[in-house]
Amino acid sequence: MVQGVGGVPMGGQRGTLLAGAAPPRGRTRREATRRLLFSAVALTLAPVAAACGQPPRATDDDRQATAFDETYRGRHIRGVEVAAARRAAAGGRWEVTIDGRPLHLMRRADGSWLSMIDHYRSYPTPLAAARGAVDELSPGEQLRDLAPGPMGEGPMHMGGGHAVHA
Amino acid sequence: MPYTRKNVNRLTGTERRRFVGALLEVKRRGEYDEFVRMHIEYNTPDGEHGLRAAHMTPSFLPWHRKFLLELERALRRVDASVTVPYWDWTRDRTATSVPWLDDLLGGNGRRSDRQVMTGPFAYRAGHWKITEGVTDVRYLTRDLGHARSPIELPTGAELNQALADPVYDTAPWNSTVTYGFRNKLEGWGAGRGSVSWRNHNRVHRWVGGSMLGGASANDPVFWLHHAFVDLQWTRWRQQHRDPRYLPAEPPGVHDAQHRRIVARHERLPPWGVTPDELEDLSGIYRYE
Repeated sequence: MVQGVGGVPMGGQRGTLLAGAAPPRGRTRREATRRLLFSAVALTLAPVAAACGQPPRATDDDRQATAFDETYRGRHIRGVEVAAARRAAAGGRWEVTIDGRPLHLMRRADGSWLSMIDHYRSYPTPLAAARGAVDELSPGEQLRDLAPGPMGEGPMHMGGGHAVHA
Repeated sequence: MPYTRKNVNRLTGTERRRFVGALLEVKRRGEYDEFVRMHIEYNTPDGEHGLRAAHMTPSFLPWHRKFLLELERALRRVDASVTVPYWDWTRDRTATSVPWLDDLLGGNGRRSDRQVMTGPFAYRAGHWKITEGVTDVRYLTRDLGHARSPIELPTGAELNQALADPVYDTAPWNSTVTYGFRNKLEGWGAGRGSVSWRNHNRVHRWVGGSMLGGASANDPVFWLHHAFVDLQWTRWRQQHRDPRYLPAEPPGVHDAQHRRIVARHERLPPWGVTPDELEDLSGIYRYE
């Protein structure tokens, strides 16, 4: 049911290359092995080379390529990391939607994630938290946009600088 | 003269009727939804910036004690005989146990959409429309026992593991602490799967539906659950030699928890009372 994420397409690609490297007539096993190894090394290095060829990202662009986009149990879930979020103490912040509606994710001190739908446990990744939220929605039930939201910047009792007086 | 909070399985028929009637009236007046909103607002977890008053924090217990007391006051303005009963989930453990009877909280949600169809809080009964939810459904939902991957309610032994800890809470005062009564009761564990949600958290998960989200107070069982959690704090204080709330002093400026938690004599938002003032409320209410 999960579509289009993770190692499945990549695995398929590897399989194709290795099959193509199978020894045709007259080639020795050693030769074939060398070709296989070369293929593997080339595969490993390819992303590095590609990354080196790219210009460095502008520092004011706080969006990174870390993202997901899949259909899970009939729901379209998307997520993109928005780095350097001022509010998150433990690293980046994610913007996640389920069927186009925002799912507010929050961070636990151990680095795991929880959502407003499933608020009494946490998940190791934003994708797992998004899937966990889908698991707890009934058919046809949609997220309500709480903006400016319970976690909006506004309320006085959540500001980082809020002083507690004795 | 303090009033008494009873075990929900000991309420008489009249007491059940009056408790339910007071809840419906507080809802009709619009006061109930203010409590739901407040609980949503105080959801800051410990990986975010800001003061944590209600969850993943030492003041989890005093914050919810005051929250419950305020709801109870609203109920008693309607009917002075009413108190919030507690649900002992270590004993009343099934989807047909007392809290879920038709003349109390009603039963489980139906399979198709988890909508509660029985009892006074069913949408079709006409008195309990969800307006402060985190989704667009207007009806109360439950998934008792979490049908898709079933879980059990916490046992008495699991609760006793929390009660046996002689220290109220420990640094770093958040969801990662493995010692201390507070987090063992609140129930944030390490790792994945069922070990990572215990006692209080596990009960929210067992009830499911509305009770699982930030708007969990939409299900009136929230109050029965938190009355039982509150009773554990009272019991714990009776069982240990030094049962004071910790930390006694605020973390210093170089501490990562500086201004992020509420120390014993600091004021707890939104009410401005201190944990110290909430430790012993035996002059206001007692547990049966």
